[in-house]
Amino acid sequence: MDILPQLIINSIIAGAIYTLIALGFNLIYGATKFFNLAHGVVVAIGGYSFFYFAKTLGLNIYVAVIIGVLLVGFVGYGLNKLVYLPLRKRKASNMVLLVASLGAFTALQAIIAILFTSQFKTLSHGVGIQRIFEFFCGVITQTQIIIILTAILVMVGLVLLLYKTHLGKAVRAISDDEEMARIVGINTNKVIGYTFFIGSAIAGLAGILVGFDTGIEPTMGLSLLLKGVIASIVGGIGNIYGGVLGAFLLGFVENFGIWKISGEWKDVIAFALLIVFLIFRPKGIMNK
Amino acid sequence: MEYLIHLAILFAIYAILGVSLNLVVGYTGLLSVTHAAFYGIGAYATAILLTKTGTGFFASIIVGMIVAIAVSFFIGIVLSKFKGDYYALGTVGFNTIIFAIFLNLQSLTKGPLGIPGISKPKLFGINFADNFNFLILVLVFLGFIYFASCFVANSSFCRVLKAIREDEEAIQVFGYNTLYFKLAIFVISAAIAAVAGSFFASYITFVDPSSFRLMESVFILAIIILGGLANLRGSILGALCLILLPEILRFVGFSVDIAAQMRQVVYGVILILLMLYRPQGLIGEYKL
Repeated sequence: MDILPQLIINSIIAGAIYTLIALGFNLIYGATKFFNLAHGVVVAIGGYSFFYFAKTLGLNIYVAVIIGVLLVGFVGYGLNKLVYLPLRKRKASNMVLLVASLGAFTALQAIIAILFTSQFKTLSHGVGIQRIFEFFCGVITQTQIIIILTAILVMVGLVLLLYKTHLGKAVRAISDDEEMARIVGINTNKVIGYTFFIGSAIAGLAGILVGFDTGIEPTMGLSLLLKGVIASIVGGIGNIYGGVLGAFLLGFVENFGIWKISGEWKDVIAFALLIVFLIFRPKGIMNK
Repeated sequence: MEYLIHLAILFAIYAILGVSLNLVVGYTGLLSVTHAAFYGIGAYATAILLTKTGTGFFASIIVGMIVAIAVSFFIGIVLSKFKGDYYALGTVGFNTIIFAIFLNLQSLTKGPLGIPGISKPKLFGINFADNFNFLILVLVFLGFIYFASCFVANSSFCRVLKAIREDEEAIQVFGYNTLYFKLAIFVISAAIAAVAGSFFASYITFVDPSSFRLMESVFILAIIILGGLANLRGSILGALCLILLPEILRFVGFSVDIAAQMRQVVYGVILILLMLYRPQGLIGEYKL
């Protein structure tokens, strides 16, 4: 059977996309300890801002990517400033933050649909123009190779940021114990603002890449977000390496799952994996 | 007049959903985002039985309730392992799984095409195809469900539920098996949601999976959070506000598509503002 190499390639591509979502989600979760569901809509904003800058305004692709990613970063930063920060100052429970992020998700997704209509759009210049590479009887497009490379680059960059810079040290300190970090003189609210910026920017980049690979629609965020959340929990929430491991595990389980049963059940497989993990190993693979 | 009756019927259906969800979220403190799944089970039970077998409407309500009870019993057992935001995430998972079943189990649900031509009920020579009669019927059910829920809310059973919400470990020390209580209220709430689903299917005379997505669960959650948690009158008030509010938008003069999206924006913003300024809702007795 030569379906096997293709399945492996597909699993790696899916894993790379989920990695990008899980990295940002995990970074934010580590610092704030709540499920930021608005992370999903941030992905869609990334795709649409690129669409606006590159297709509507006709800017150079690279310029558009940079502006798009920065814009998404500011959206994440702004959400933290306007919604989450006041709530955290009031010592709101995680559930309040979760519901607030759900509200932000619903509102922003609808705003995208109003601005750009809810039709499916593609970011690449046309179907079939993409260069295709063959790999042990499997097929992979140029975009998909870029996705995998970007995921690796972002992961390495994030690890360097976290372990080699002052900011990274502060982020890790807050992840360990926010109270303690504040006592030793870290401006925690500022650092958390930066993590929102970085995490959202990564998600925006993921949105642009997914847009090139398949396409964008306002509702694209939810399923990507849920996959990112599942990857984070399966791997070990708040743990950067765990998120990556979980993302690839999810990619493989999903794609090998649909080998035997039809593709519409992908989401069910993903959530079944989540529920199995929540029951038997709620802390994930990496966390003790 | 027809238009007002239409709104009143929708209000009554959502009030039933709100009252039942409040039993779980408000009184027991379990943030469930899977109510649309049980609502859908009721709707599909009615749709399938009425179009394929010719069973009566009222018998189909019973069947829908039984299916919802069986499914929610199983889901409740799995969910009983989780707490707090993990519980919420688990319910998101089950909503997605059941939505996928509606969408993909084509032999039974006809998938995305939906099931048209569901007949309206007849009883004692009264034809409920007339919308006014149908409204009376729904209101009678709403009244019955409301008073039954009030009875539950004032019972000693519900005092245990509130104790679980405040401090689960403490009530366990007193020898209560909290699993049974949480499971019981979850199953009761699911059964009531199925009744609302049956009415919805019969009133619209058509069901398709898109009515039971995750966003529908979020909408029902918004109703009870707006009205107030742990207050049944609050749920009715919340349903009234959230059904009427978007209708004002219609008169402002947006096109149909944009009005639908504006509605989502309104729900989202309401959730954020409530979390920021009034987490207990309009007349609630419990904060998340």
